[in-house]
Amino acid sequence: MLPVIQICLLLVAPFLFIGIINRVKALWAGRKGSPLLQPLYDFIRLLKKGEVISKTTSFVFQIAPTFNIAAVIFAFLLIPIPSFGSAFSFEGDFVLFAYVLGLSKFLTVLAALDTGSSFEGMGASREVTFSTIVEPAFFILIGTLAMLTGQTSFASIFHLLNSSAGYSVLIEILFTAALFIMILTEGSRVPVDDPNTHLELTMIHEVMVLDNSGPDFAFIFYSASMKMVLLSVLAANLLIPGNIQPVIATVLLIGIIMLSAVLIGLIESLIARARMSHVPQFIFLMTALSLIAFAVVVFYLRGRM
Amino acid sequence: MFDEFLLGCILFFAGGTSAIFVRGKAKGYLFLLFGIAAQFMILPSAVSVLLGGGNLEKILYFSDPIGSSAIRLDPLAVFFVIIISAGSLLASIYSMEYLKHYDEKKYSLSSFYFFFGLLISSMLLVVVVQNSILFLIVWELMSTSSFFLVIFESDKEEVRKAGVYYLIAMQIGASFLIAAFAWISSVTGSYDFNSFKNILSAQGSISIILFILFFIGFGTKAGFVPFHTWLPRAHPAAPTGVSAIMSGIMIKTGIYGILRIILLCGIPEIHLAYGVFIISLVTAITGILNGISQKDIKKLLAYSSIENIGIIGMGIGLGMLGLSYNLPLITWLGFLGALLHTLNHFTFKSILFYGAGIVYQKTGTRNLENLGGLIKYMPLTAAVFLIGAMAISGLPILSGFISEFAIYLGIAKSFSFDSASFNILMIVGFSGLALVGVMAVLGFTKLFGITFLGTSRSKFHHQPSEASPMLLFPMIICLTVIFFVGFFPAVIIHLISGAVNQFSQTNYLSELSSIISVYTSLAKAISIFVAILLFFFIVRYLLLRRKHVRIFKTWDCGYQTANSRVQYTGSSFSLPFLELVAAVVPQKTIVETEKEIFPAEAKLKTSQHDLLERIFIQPLLKYIRSFLNLFVWIQSGRMQQYILYGLIFLVLILIYVIGVM
Repeated sequence: MLPVIQICLLLVAPFLFIGIINRVKALWAGRKGSPLLQPLYDFIRLLKKGEVISKTTSFVFQIAPTFNIAAVIFAFLLIPIPSFGSAFSFEGDFVLFAYVLGLSKFLTVLAALDTGSSFEGMGASREVTFSTIVEPAFFILIGTLAMLTGQTSFASIFHLLNSSAGYSVLIEILFTAALFIMILTEGSRVPVDDPNTHLELTMIHEVMVLDNSGPDFAFIFYSASMKMVLLSVLAANLLIPGNIQPVIATVLLIGIIMLSAVLIGLIESLIARARMSHVPQFIFLMTALSLIAFAVVVFYLRGRM
Repeated sequence: MFDEFLLGCILFFAGGTSAIFVRGKAKGYLFLLFGIAAQFMILPSAVSVLLGGGNLEKILYFSDPIGSSAIRLDPLAVFFVIIISAGSLLASIYSMEYLKHYDEKKYSLSSFYFFFGLLISSMLLVVVVQNSILFLIVWELMSTSSFFLVIFESDKEEVRKAGVYYLIAMQIGASFLIAAFAWISSVTGSYDFNSFKNILSAQGSISIILFILFFIGFGTKAGFVPFHTWLPRAHPAAPTGVSAIMSGIMIKTGIYGILRIILLCGIPEIHLAYGVFIISLVTAITGILNGISQKDIKKLLAYSSIENIGIIGMGIGLGMLGLSYNLPLITWLGFLGALLHTLNHFTFKSILFYGAGIVYQKTGTRNLENLGGLIKYMPLTAAVFLIGAMAISGLPILSGFISEFAIYLGIAKSFSFDSASFNILMIVGFSGLALVGVMAVLGFTKLFGITFLGTSRSKFHHQPSEASPMLLFPMIICLTVIFFVGFFPAVIIHLISGAVNQFSQTNYLSELSSIISVYTSLAKAISIFVAILLFFFIVRYLLLRRKHVRIFKTWDCGYQTANSRVQYTGSSFSLPFLELVAAVVPQKTIVETEKEIFPAEAKLKTSQHDLLERIFIQPLLKYIRSFLNLFVWIQSGRMQQYILYGLIFLVLILIYVIGVM
């Protein structure tokens, strides 16, 4: 019964995630804020609408959002849920995880170019540029975990990691911090991108999907927020010990997801978006953190598990 | 069966020769006929070896100095034979149609088909002969015939230049091979490959130096850095069918050569394995980095070939590391990844080159900055091209992912090995491969997005139209292979397991079955993904079924007079990334403005340079040139002097004969 509840909770988590971010920002600014589930209402409203499609576009523009949502739902199946494991796992599944998300990015970028708009071309160009920094760092992270545990699938890596006490808190901190930077980048949040700005020139993700509307835009919205939830679940896998009650694990999981939403909301309230030329430096922080984690694993932690 | 195979090899050459004697369109049809006949001769024997029917072998006797020479069809050779044979047939179908647009008076189709046939026959022989002299002969035939194909449009100066550059690069590579073969033969006294085993597998510096010689020789053909500089010159110069054959097939003979040498080496020296892996990673990164900065479609594709050779090389390096550290599973995954990627690169690179040729033929330009919106005019070409671009970026449900996955998995498996230097190398390879993958996404979204999407950035002379079925047919065949490998990886792995197993030192059944089981779950995962995808497509259809879908213009943010010139161009798309990597892809920007009070017309020119070419190749060429300039006086161009040479030669011979005899 609990797995079903977990899956349902995680499927609606994206709405709550965005809702919490917005509520935190509102409270910090002294406003009351919209209902927590407002993103869900927006989503349903979008699904009921028709669409406006540019006459410049081709089929690429119309298939991209569907690929997007299918990719995140599939990636969701690959990620283990604390104390239950993943829906299915095999050796090397993390490569498929990264590449399926890459597939959706490939098509989103093409859909942006498909509109022939200079704004969307700009967003596409930036999105894919920042990915070139994030992806290698993510692979260093996962590779380091594989090295630490000697396992080659998400489920077995986290299972072994959580059932042994032989690794340090330092690793946890480094990984969580690196993953958090990845959430900010992949989720297009401050300081990488500001989803709320009204100036297209400064946006990345939002500007790529300027022309989408109706159900397609709902799909894009859902997959963008689901991506952040997925990465939070990855972080939760690192932080939640393996030998606790499933119910407590579930509570912790929800807590960690909500906590990362609160953190994002606080960051967005406190600091401004970085200048575009400084964004790569911020993302390189993730590479640096992953490399430190790798060095720690290779030189200190080997053979202690 | 073996004689049929040899006959099939020669049939391509016969087809090319007989095409000389007929006219016009009949040339192409005749060549095709011979090509199809050759398939019937070659494929049965090849398939029988592939399915585990044992090697086919025959000893041919030649007069001295070649002596007896074995011609052997082992699984490795057969793997390449099938790619060469089938791929050449596709290329000749494409070329037949593509060349129709060339003026027959200006360009000699006879010589084209002659050298085309010669190239295919020599490539087929390269992978089966087991005698170093015979090997060098067919190797040189392959290089020379492809040179003549590159300079097909020899009235253009840049084509001639590229052709000569290519020829010289090939000869430099071949000289390394000659040196290596001569060295070995001087020790063993035999030209047979099998006799090389003793020297190459021995520990010590000789085997290392020999391996390096071979690697440079074969690596020049394959396009490893820093010997890659001929690819971005020769590929754009050659007619498209030839570019496809060169990039998809011919450079793989270099890969074949390296694999053959590794087979003879037995367990490679650990440093060599490190070296091959690192050079391959650098090759992959260099290739795609420079590819991203290109404006010419075919140059971009040529650089992407270098990238893919790098990925194949990473597989080879991983396999060698597995052999050196005695890790059978990693050996298996490494060589499996290398061979699978060889096959896959052939299919998607053929699609992309064929597509580029169609774009060039329909629009008259290969410059990305002038293209755009072609998907409206040629939707089918665009769709096939898109899938090719997705496959080459290694995206799942297509074949590119399957081969890169093998390398990823091999690297991931190696992490449990306890050696810090090995671990560091592997994590660099792991994230390096991810970097290459994401840069490929950048490069190919640029290539496809700028060429086919948006609106056209310049006026075309004629309205482009959909490609003819004969041009699309080879692309669609390749497409089927891409999907097949993507969805049924286990079948392909079974087929090439014989070739991979040649590298394995031990019993392979346990490795094979564990890899197959991983790939079976991967295939299952991919089919689940496809199911989810279909589900959401149905959901989208149902949601939009009764809704109003309005066709309107692109959101213009209030700028009413926007035209197609304000779109993002290829250069602007890749600019943010190129600024990040400006240290390794130096960019030169020239701004020409009139210094006037009021704004006047200004010009901006940007160009990128291949840094490794500048560091390694250009100084080398400079030194070689200044050294050779010392001997310029020998070639004075005066007839009297040449006659004098002859005279001196005769006198010397006379003195030798009288004095010594």
